[in-house]
Amino acid sequence: MKNLIKEFTKGIIKENPTFVLALGLCPTLAVSVSVANAIGMGIAATFVLLGSSLIISLIRDFIPDKIRIPCYIVIIATFVTIAELCMKAYSPALDRSLGIYVPLIVVNCIVLGRAEAFACKNNLARSFFDGLGMGVGFTLALILISAIREFLGSGQILGHTLVKGFEPIFVFGMPSGALLVIGLLLGLFNLLKDKRA
Amino acid sequence: MKEMARYGFILAFICVVAAGLLAIVNTLTGPKIIAAAQSEEQAALKEVMPLAAKFTAVKPPAAEEILYYKAFDAQGKLIGFVFKASGKGYSSVIETLAGIFPDGKISAIKIISLNETPGLGMRVAEDKFTAQFNRQSSLDLFGVQAITGATISSRAVMNSVMKKAQEIKALIKNDPFDGSTKLTIDTEQGRSVDSAQGHAELTKGESKHDK
Repeated sequence: MKNLIKEFTKGIIKENPTFVLALGLCPTLAVSVSVANAIGMGIAATFVLLGSSLIISLIRDFIPDKIRIPCYIVIIATFVTIAELCMKAYSPALDRSLGIYVPLIVVNCIVLGRAEAFACKNNLARSFFDGLGMGVGFTLALILISAIREFLGSGQILGHTLVKGFEPIFVFGMPSGALLVIGLLLGLFNLLKDKRA
Repeated sequence: MKEMARYGFILAFICVVAAGLLAIVNTLTGPKIIAAAQSEEQAALKEVMPLAAKFTAVKPPAAEEILYYKAFDAQGKLIGFVFKASGKGYSSVIETLAGIFPDGKISAIKIISLNETPGLGMRVAEDKFTAQFNRQSSLDLFGVQAITGATISSRAVMNSVMKKAQEIKALIKNDPFDGSTKLTIDTEQGRSVDSAQGHAELTKGESKHDK
């Protein structure tokens, strides 16, 4: 049990997919404009990670080594399409603001990375917690980045104005602002890691 | 060779299972997706023509593209039209939904898609700008002030709305049917048609003549 908790928590800080593994930065840059987007994207990615990790670890002995990548991609794409259809049906506004980045979860390297590095070598329970931890880590990273960007870029968090009279700094709403925020946070995480080591 | 067939079989099996699963999800969500899109469309139409109770799309017979919408009130009386205008802004095509009364005055507008500079051009989507269009004449939009620092985006919205309003006006002028008449004899073809449909066929025919 202790092991399982470790698999879960490592994705949040020690092996955070965004800040430590630096995987899947493209959707992170693109959707972190607002916290609402970040939460939606995080939930979709977590669902896909969880589903694909479970299935891949379940049938890992059935998939031959030589064709494992196409098999993984089919499985991942299936979960992504399910997530996309559900989002379109139940939350069309969110679907519109995330746009192309939901179907692009298929090629998100966090998902394929966990399938290749973890789920194909570990049992069901461990893969489940690994996928969940990575998903939550990705979601938290997205929320952190988008909270900073939304506050500085438009003076709001989740559409609510926090500080009256705060003049927004437009650059944070744009891609260059995303690069700045992610770069500084990556540096901060590395600093913390070095201190601890 | 035997290996290859085995790999092919395994991959095909995974694909079949995946496809089956997706087919199920698709049948479950399909109707909801269509309903969501429709209610979203109706809500957007309602926003620019709040007095209307019902909208009917007017489109040329064979095409999917919608020319404009007719807006009817609860009694079935035609009270206005809604159309979509698009114009090149500073860094994107700005699409605007506009409601217009039969006298040519704008009811309201709503920006439906744009990708302008954040903080400048993006502000054309704010109420502060769009509310200026209410009750303006679609001929000149005289009372509309452009946003400081976003002249190109503001102009794009204004010009596209004015231009499209003229086009729609020409289409409507060619329409001999009163919107409140439910059933009309189409004299040209000598048969009974539903007014909305007959109208669509007629406008198509007329616009061809114009060219």
